[in-house]
Amino acid sequence: MVKVFIYPATSLMLSDLVARYGHTPLGSAVSIREHIQTPGFDSPPLQMTAEDPQKGLKWAAVEVPSGIRGRMSLYGPLVEEAEAAIIIDEPELSFGCMGCARTNELLCFMLREKDIPRLELRYPASREEGVTFVAQIKKFLDDLKKEETA
Amino acid sequence: MSDRPVRIAQITCGAEYSGIQNEITSAAATVGAQMFYPDVALKDVKTAYKEFGLPVKSPDLKLAIARAKAVVEGRVEADGIFIASCFRCAEAAIVRNELRRYIVENSKIPVVSYSFNERTGASTLLTRLEALSTIAKRRELMAREVQVGITMGVDSGSSTTKCVIMKDNEIVGTGWKPTTEVLKSADDVIAEALAESGLKMSDIEAIGTTGYGRFLIGKHLNADLVQEELTVNSKGAVYLANAQKGFATVIDIGGMDNKAISVNDGIPGSFTMGGICAGASGRFLEMTSKRLGVDITELGALSMKSAGGEDVPMNSYCIVFGTQSLVNALASGYKPEDVAAASCHSVAQQVYEQQLQEVDIKEPVIMVGGSSLIQGLVRAMGRMLNTEVVVPHHSQYIGAVGAALIASGFVEKKRAEKKEA
Amino acid sequence: MKPYIPEYVGTVTKYVFVDSPDTTPQDIATAAYEVAQGVMIKETCFGCQITGNPEDVSRIVDHLRELDPYRIFVKDRGFPPGDARRCRADLGGARPGYLGHEFEMKMAPYISYGLEAVDNMSAEELAKAAGEPLPIEEPLDADILEQLMEE
Repeated sequence: MVKVFIYPATSLMLSDLVARYGHTPLGSAVSIREHIQTPGFDSPPLQMTAEDPQKGLKWAAVEVPSGIRGRMSLYGPLVEEAEAAIIIDEPELSFGCMGCARTNELLCFMLREKDIPRLELRYPASREEGVTFVAQIKKFLDDLKKEETA
Repeated sequence: MSDRPVRIAQITCGAEYSGIQNEITSAAATVGAQMFYPDVALKDVKTAYKEFGLPVKSPDLKLAIARAKAVVEGRVEADGIFIASCFRCAEAAIVRNELRRYIVENSKIPVVSYSFNERTGASTLLTRLEALSTIAKRRELMAREVQVGITMGVDSGSSTTKCVIMKDNEIVGTGWKPTTEVLKSADDVIAEALAESGLKMSDIEAIGTTGYGRFLIGKHLNADLVQEELTVNSKGAVYLANAQKGFATVIDIGGMDNKAISVNDGIPGSFTMGGICAGASGRFLEMTSKRLGVDITELGALSMKSAGGEDVPMNSYCIVFGTQSLVNALASGYKPEDVAAASCHSVAQQVYEQQLQEVDIKEPVIMVGGSSLIQGLVRAMGRMLNTEVVVPHHSQYIGAVGAALIASGFVEKKRAEKKEA
Repeated sequence: MKPYIPEYVGTVTKYVFVDSPDTTPQDIATAAYEVAQGVMIKETCFGCQITGNPEDVSRIVDHLRELDPYRIFVKDRGFPPGDARRCRADLGGARPGYLGHEFEMKMAPYISYGLEAVDNMSAEELAKAAGEPLPIEEPLDADILEQLMEE
């Protein structure tokens, strides 16, 4: 089992495919769950407080807007943990956790900079593309398994 | 007026991830308002984004556009709109500004726009949301154009406390003092105003309080109206400047923060409040007068002796650096009047850059508050905006006048109640 | 500030989506209840949400996938179901994630088709089907455009 960062980190399809083919998807839900299940000060809805953008300073400087630093505090640790990544370009309609283009750009850069197996593709727009989309992801994930056992 | 909470549509980007969503929600709850997200479907987002025509990359800003359109087009009902995004985000700043403009031009819904960071707390948001909720809830009171009966307004500001007594649409007594102990300062200015008017406390038919100390003084005086300074000051400004019909822009450079309010038919439409540093406020002018060894009341006359001081290097973006440039300017031999004018210019510039970009400047531009008596500041602001700035009489008492005016909305009701009793 | 005492500590929540002519969201929920053994199941308009310890949730998910393997999609969720912090009823509007799901579920038929097609492929066939990655469209360079127009 390889920990695969999924981008968009909120993607239902990537989360499904990674788990379906036997690996662990790393996405927003993992970090949000940790926040929701950790006692502290009450700060609904995400239980994020001013401390989170401060933690984000590890990945983005102080002049970077607080929302980016807050989001980076969710994703930074996951990127560090990631052993592979699947990136779908232009998640233009993923809101909330993936709602900030600047965070998304930084996140993609960090994943590309990291020396891990990476697959980049786009969403399918037809049944034929659906085959290519799934085949590519399955092949990528199967190869990860092979590398793991090798 | 029903007791249903004022519903404020939240159109923000980054609030949850900055860790301040709870601050927004609690500030709203404190003033009896409720934040909600206008509900839109995915297809609404696509259509609204396309129709609005402003290309952005961040999905949450596309969502913000769709939410704003849903409210303006009446598909979602809201009493007020709160637009906010992360401080220092250029993309969001453009969207925020354009959405605010779009809302003001296409609806009568009051809107406040704000940029936050993770340190933004509920207390900072309180006055803004209170103003928004007041405009929504108390439109009737806000529409008042004539003062009736005998009423008193007390404005407890961060630097000074003011009291005004009005009778039959005339100011008959005033009191003014630096704020020391909040209640004592208030009692002193009230005594002063009563003495001038020749009236007794028992003659006063209704009382309104405003400013930082409004809650404490409101309780102390059993006031009929306790209201934040944004709506009160803008009301007072258009009343004194005789600009109650049509558009006007009110600028109040205070001792701690500045307000810029765009008013339409006497009711504030959009406003901003804040300032990154005291360097952009009246406090910097106080420091300048101290350094120049003149009283703050003489700073205006002194600065008018200069042509404008624009050539003196001065930047009060930060009060510490601003003070440094003040010292440097004097050390390099600039005349005190030029330095005084340069300070005025610098404060005007900061207000222009930080606040006036967030409201639509429509004439007349009315300057109020104690700082409006500093002629150099008014001149600098006028040059910056390329307009003749109006400073109404009693402009330093603006909050107190506004409070006395609005409080007179309670007079008739109280008289009727008295009769019945 | 009020202290926060979390609920459902140590659990995971998964969304189960279905987009199929043969299986309804209600079928999914019913099937989940049948094997729930006390695990929390919440029926939704798209399928269900399952909350429990990771092993139990995984057991139920595996069972549900068997019902309609190519048309059921599963995703992790940070919040437990019906949480007031994310609930549509309490916020007056859909949480942002909902729109994201709406967006991705539109391509569910393509992906279902793909899943079925690749299911029995050999490694070679899979490699062939994967071919080149789906091209990522770059905006056309103005100079190239001009050149094309001249041609």
